[in-house]
Amino acid sequence: MAKVLIAETSYLVRKGLVSLLEQTDGVTELKAAGHPDTIVQTLKEFSPDIILLNSAIQMPVTHDKLLSLLHDKARFIYIINTPLPEDSPANHISVFDTKNKLTEKLSHHLRQYESAEEKEETEELTPREKLILKHVALGYTNKEIATKLFISTHTVISHRKNITRKLDIKTVSGLTVYSLINGIIKMEDIQ
Amino acid sequence: MHISPHTKMSDLVQSDFELLAVLQRLKIPFGFKEKSIQTICREEGIDLNFFLNLARWYHERDFFPGETLMNHPVKWLVKYLRSTHSCYIEYHIPRIEEEIIRMESLDRSGGHNMQLMLKFFREYISEFTTHIQLEEEKIFPYILSLEENFEKETPDPEFLKTARGYTIKDFLDEHSDIEEKLVDLRNILLKYLAPPSDNCLFTNVLIEIFRLGNDLNDHTILEENVLIPQVIKLERDFHNKFPR
Repeated sequence: MAKVLIAETSYLVRKGLVSLLEQTDGVTELKAAGHPDTIVQTLKEFSPDIILLNSAIQMPVTHDKLLSLLHDKARFIYIINTPLPEDSPANHISVFDTKNKLTEKLSHHLRQYESAEEKEETEELTPREKLILKHVALGYTNKEIATKLFISTHTVISHRKNITRKLDIKTVSGLTVYSLINGIIKMEDIQ
Repeated sequence: MHISPHTKMSDLVQSDFELLAVLQRLKIPFGFKEKSIQTICREEGIDLNFFLNLARWYHERDFFPGETLMNHPVKWLVKYLRSTHSCYIEYHIPRIEEEIIRMESLDRSGGHNMQLMLKFFREYISEFTTHIQLEEEKIFPYILSLEENFEKETPDPEFLKTARGYTIKDFLDEHSDIEEKLVDLRNILLKYLAPPSDNCLFTNVLIEIFRLGNDLNDHTILEENVLIPQVIKLERDFHNKFPR
């Protein structure tokens, strides 16, 4: 299951893709943006898995910066304003593509995503992640956790990213509440 | 529906009642009778295009009219954003707080989960209030004076001093993300806490949190993509007009 963002200036193409993707399996949430600034904004907040980006759009930030706004498993599909050659890459779609062609390509990407996602759904926090979470909830900084557990700060940060992704909770106080509800820490621990 | 100057205000609301929020924030009184958007805007001293741009964006949700909105005096947008703030502080936030308090009083589980949620939400309120205070007390007055002084022959010396030592870009650094915590609250309620879903109260709290979240999102878009760029431009023009 994937969240999809359509980043396309052309009104007609954008609406067309929205209507196509609404009928396609595997799309959980769909957003569309036309203005480059809105695209960047939406990327940050929506955190899509698949971004359909028209290759002709002049983005206000570099491609590297764009990538840094996305999570590791996110992928780009480029919308090309000209017909595609026979041997075009799988992540290119053209405004000239037929409905069948588009559906086939988009489903291909969505499917790859789905299988990766299914594994994830059964993924709970690992004991290690729970331990890190406990320390975060108790109010330790990344550096303090690293020292306490004899690991690098980098490792702590990477664990924290995974925790946030799995739980969908970003803030420390949110993580604390989660830990209290699930008995990872106790009320007395933080008082 | 296409929103035109001749559209009747009552038709506009009937086609999309979420637009009531926009009307309220522009302080447009009810009792529309058969009046058109154009007539009401004239009567209320609201720029017609400013209204149309906002209403179309909220309604169509398609293309953000950033550049078009930037062509209006900055004080209109500030006025709009201020009204939005008071709406949050005086109505939305206290209402959600009250509902969580009620949920807590109805909680028979014997645990402390609802108490936790209340504590969490109150932390959020205090963060939120600080955020809004900064804008209301520091940022907006600065923006308004900037625009006002720019139009003068000679700017107020006191303000000139301030303007030379400050830029709105400093504010951007302090502009914290006020949505994150709310999203966390929503996710905890939806995914982990699971109070009874057969309860109208609980469902309603969630609906209100979703609404507030969306509204805040729009608010941030207006601030970051219209207000700030517009002020940056105004600062540039100001310093060009009154060089050191």
